[in-house]
Amino acid sequence: MSQDTMTGAVIASATNVMKIYGSGETEVRALDGLNAEFRRGQFSAVMGPSGSGKSTLMHVMAGLDRATSGDVVVGGVDLSTLSEKKLTLLRRDRIGFVFQAYNLVPTLSAEENMVLPLDLAGRKPDPEWFNQVVTAVGLGDRLDHRPNELSGGQQQRVAVARALVGQPDIIFADEPTGNLDSKTGHEILDFLRTAVRELGQTVVMVTHDPLGASYTDRAIFLEDGKITSEMVDPNADDIYNYMRSLGA
Amino acid sequence: MISKLVRRNIAATKGRLFLMLLSIVLGVSFVSGSFLLADSLRAIFSDITATAFSGIDAQVRGIEGDLSTGEEAIRISEDIFDTVAALPEVEYAEAGLAAFFQVYTVGADGEVNRPQGPPVFANSWAGPSVASSFALRDGQAPSGNQVAIDATQAETEGLAVGDQVQVSGPGIDELLDMEVSGIVSFGDSDALAGAYFNLFDLPTMQTLMGSPGEIDGVIVNGQDDVSNTELLRAVQAALGDDATLEVVSGTTLIDEQSGEFNEFIDIFGNVLLGFALVVLFVSIFIIYNTFAILISQRIRQFGLLRSIGATGQQLTRMVLIEALIIGIIASIIGLFGGIGIATLLKYLFSQGGGEFPDGPLLFKTRTIIIVFFLGIGVTVGSALLPSFVAQRIPALAALRDGAAATTEGSRHRRVLFGGIVFTLGVALTLFGLFGSLSTAPRLALLGFGAALLFVGVAMLSVLFASAATRFLGAPVEMARGLNGRLARDNASRNPQRTAATASALMIGLALITGVLVLTQSLRASFDKILDETVAADLFIYDDNQGFPFDGAAVAQLAVAPGIDQVAAITSLKVDIDGQVENATGFDVASTDQVLDAQLIGGTYDTGENGVLIYSGKADELNLAIGASINVRFEDDFTDDFTIVGVFDDNTLFGSAWIFDRATTSQHTNLDTVEFVGATFEAGAEPALAQMAAEDAVANFPQLIVQDNSEFKETQEGQINSLLIVVFALLGLCIVVAFIGIVNTMALSILERTREIGLLRAIGTSRRQLRSMVRWEAIIVGVFGALLGVVLGIIIGYAAVSAIPDSFISVVSIPWRWAVIFTIVGGVLGMFAAVLPARRAARMNVLDAISTV
Repeated sequence: MSQDTMTGAVIASATNVMKIYGSGETEVRALDGLNAEFRRGQFSAVMGPSGSGKSTLMHVMAGLDRATSGDVVVGGVDLSTLSEKKLTLLRRDRIGFVFQAYNLVPTLSAEENMVLPLDLAGRKPDPEWFNQVVTAVGLGDRLDHRPNELSGGQQQRVAVARALVGQPDIIFADEPTGNLDSKTGHEILDFLRTAVRELGQTVVMVTHDPLGASYTDRAIFLEDGKITSEMVDPNADDIYNYMRSLGA
Repeated sequence: MISKLVRRNIAATKGRLFLMLLSIVLGVSFVSGSFLLADSLRAIFSDITATAFSGIDAQVRGIEGDLSTGEEAIRISEDIFDTVAALPEVEYAEAGLAAFFQVYTVGADGEVNRPQGPPVFANSWAGPSVASSFALRDGQAPSGNQVAIDATQAETEGLAVGDQVQVSGPGIDELLDMEVSGIVSFGDSDALAGAYFNLFDLPTMQTLMGSPGEIDGVIVNGQDDVSNTELLRAVQAALGDDATLEVVSGTTLIDEQSGEFNEFIDIFGNVLLGFALVVLFVSIFIIYNTFAILISQRIRQFGLLRSIGATGQQLTRMVLIEALIIGIIASIIGLFGGIGIATLLKYLFSQGGGEFPDGPLLFKTRTIIIVFFLGIGVTVGSALLPSFVAQRIPALAALRDGAAATTEGSRHRRVLFGGIVFTLGVALTLFGLFGSLSTAPRLALLGFGAALLFVGVAMLSVLFASAATRFLGAPVEMARGLNGRLARDNASRNPQRTAATASALMIGLALITGVLVLTQSLRASFDKILDETVAADLFIYDDNQGFPFDGAAVAQLAVAPGIDQVAAITSLKVDIDGQVENATGFDVASTDQVLDAQLIGGTYDTGENGVLIYSGKADELNLAIGASINVRFEDDFTDDFTIVGVFDDNTLFGSAWIFDRATTSQHTNLDTVEFVGATFEAGAEPALAQMAAEDAVANFPQLIVQDNSEFKETQEGQINSLLIVVFALLGLCIVVAFIGIVNTMALSILERTREIGLLRAIGTSRRQLRSMVRWEAIIVGVFGALLGVVLGIIIGYAAVSAIPDSFISVVSIPWRWAVIFTIVGGVLGMFAAVLPARRAARMNVLDAISTV
């Protein structure tokens, strides 16, 4: 299912986005007139030093937080025009999210966690797609387990599956391997890449790990709330060198 | 799935929900228990009534007028018996004369035989018959100087057939010696709700009552082939058109009697229900707090749900479903918990002297519906506010560490809302106190107003909870150093939580303090009257329930050696210018030498047709001395009376009109009095004169003769036993509030796991940690108690001001109790902290620190 990831349609974009916290002396410009585009079927990495605004960008793009100004468009919808309720529904139906700390509901089983977003929407999962996802994450025999009965890697795979099951337009992953050892971290990254290559998903991942970013099709670099650079088909060495040149 | 998630959440946090559930269950059980008890009493009494009248098809009796005071029926001539008994439709007829609290047996020790609480009846009885519900268990029916008594009395007083007793009655000058001829049972049972029965033959009963030739009525049992309607018609026809008589059917008798019982049971049940609702009300604060804390603990979970697409409404719904499930569980447990509460109440009342008839507890559909409605309503209602907070949790809460729901904006709203609720509560309470209303709407208004007032204070106390707990904690910090400092900070750092926890305690203590202000003021007013306006040296009355006794006692007292003046009070109903009014008969000739009504104008000398009027009534009706009123008495005697005096104090007299007792005794069916005051002759030895007075009324064994200090003591004792009942009932509020403190402390400690771990890691000892938790709870407890005491004093003061001066004229604040309650608040806090403190101290340091 290989395709040219650089030519897919733009599925999410940020135009001249500002995000300002506080005011006056304590004003912080987390995003400072940022522009970015993400295309369908693309696996992107957002990189940058601490405080560069990469997490804020993700929150704003995913509709978890609102930009102070500028336009954020996901799947053709301008998020700034949406009411809180509409934004929630958009998040539910069209956006997937993977957190650093897995963030599963501890009282629900793996399967229940996976279908939770659909359930909140009152929808039933497409069984064929669900099986495909479950097979892909390799958790077929663990579906009845509660999160505390799963390893960190397994929990994160459940979280990824949860993001996938609803077939969203785009999945945002915030340092998804941050809490994992390197082996399980690579499993997750492999899996995210598989989701893009074979299941046709779109993934944007925030990471500070050059090795992690090397799994992606494209890495963008943030500094002081702006995109400063971009690499296509990055490899770990290039990223490492680039970051060292930034002094980060 | 949402409901599945809710159920899983409940299962996962059931430990945290347990105390809240317990508090709801207590309130709901009390509600359920009130209904169970009242319904069971209703059933028992209707059963009793049905048994009592089962053999009676009809009764002939005198008509009760609108001015009858109802202690005794209007008596009729016994000739009517012959007329009725001679009818061919009548199979059996029996003339009857009964007395209520008038005829007693007296034991060998000279003490009157009567139970505490339940009544004593005396009846004429011709022995077992179709119309009689009494059956002989032992011996035979009474004849001449014989009495048959009920099995309960026989057992309690140790009497058997053949024993000698003395019998008292209003118609006899000295006690009569009689033989117990038989022991009777009532239907199949020994006991009739604890009441005593003394049965005599009719002539003896007439002698005892001083009513020769008179009966209350004739009970009739018809021939088998005569229908009830035919029987009633035949009896009515035989009586002719005598308007003073009426014929009623057995069913009417049952209905009348049940109605009377039910009226009493309704009051009893409603009072219990009132207390139950207060307890339930207190649990509102605990439910609110628990949900507020649970939500803040689940903030990450809620943030997560928001981030994966749960709408705010869905989160609110989750919280409300959780509340609904808990409400249902609490209602089910509480419904059956009512059995326990009802049993406990029965026990408490029987300890207090009021005997409770035995009978099964009844679950009526109405009880079940109300219990579920209240249990679920209170739980879901209390969770509403926290559920809206849940709605405002942002998705980003899932990503932030230790995120808290933004409450700043909502705090302003709450304070504003609290202010409105408080003002409304004050307005309603004041209107309830001072507005001119009838009793039911007044009580409803007061209850609702007080509830709003409490909620308002609870909401507003958020404003000063921090400052107040910091202030209260200052000495703790001084005494306990850093530990005290942390305790103080913890108590003040979440004002909403502290305010809600303290408010639960506030309510119970405010009510108790308010009641104390009322009763202490009542006592002080009473003492003031006794000291300032009552000249009497002796007080003679029936200390059981103030039942009236025969006026002959007054004449007997008057001639006792050493006794100077005697003045008695009797209450009656009269028709004044077309209005039925309560009035008092008083020996006005004694003027103010025995009992004083505080004459402010005119004279006590009523002459032939004079009357005194209460100053308030005079103002109301715009009547002055010299004005004429038309008065009709119970016996239909009507005449014009002239107002000769205005009095200012109706505390002792209890009505707005005073007539000469010489007049009232002529025009009432029975010459009875309720209260007699007497003075000693100058130079008489008080103790001897008191003994002489006791001798003078020896034929009224139900009376006590007390001097001033004994009288005060008795009155105080009565107030105190009332207080004990009220405190016992309100005590449950305090129990629930106590659970609330435990609950808040336990939940707060779970929430602060990480912080506690940190304190332990840097070297805080377990002991220090326990002390910290304990002091925090003590500060919160004292804060709640102070709120309650202050509010209680204000409420009590307002209530006393609202009560007419004629009843309570002095405001007395129970300062000593106020201090004690504040200390009790701290002690409650200390005990409430025991388990949470232990839990905090036992936390594993590493686990605690790594908790997210």
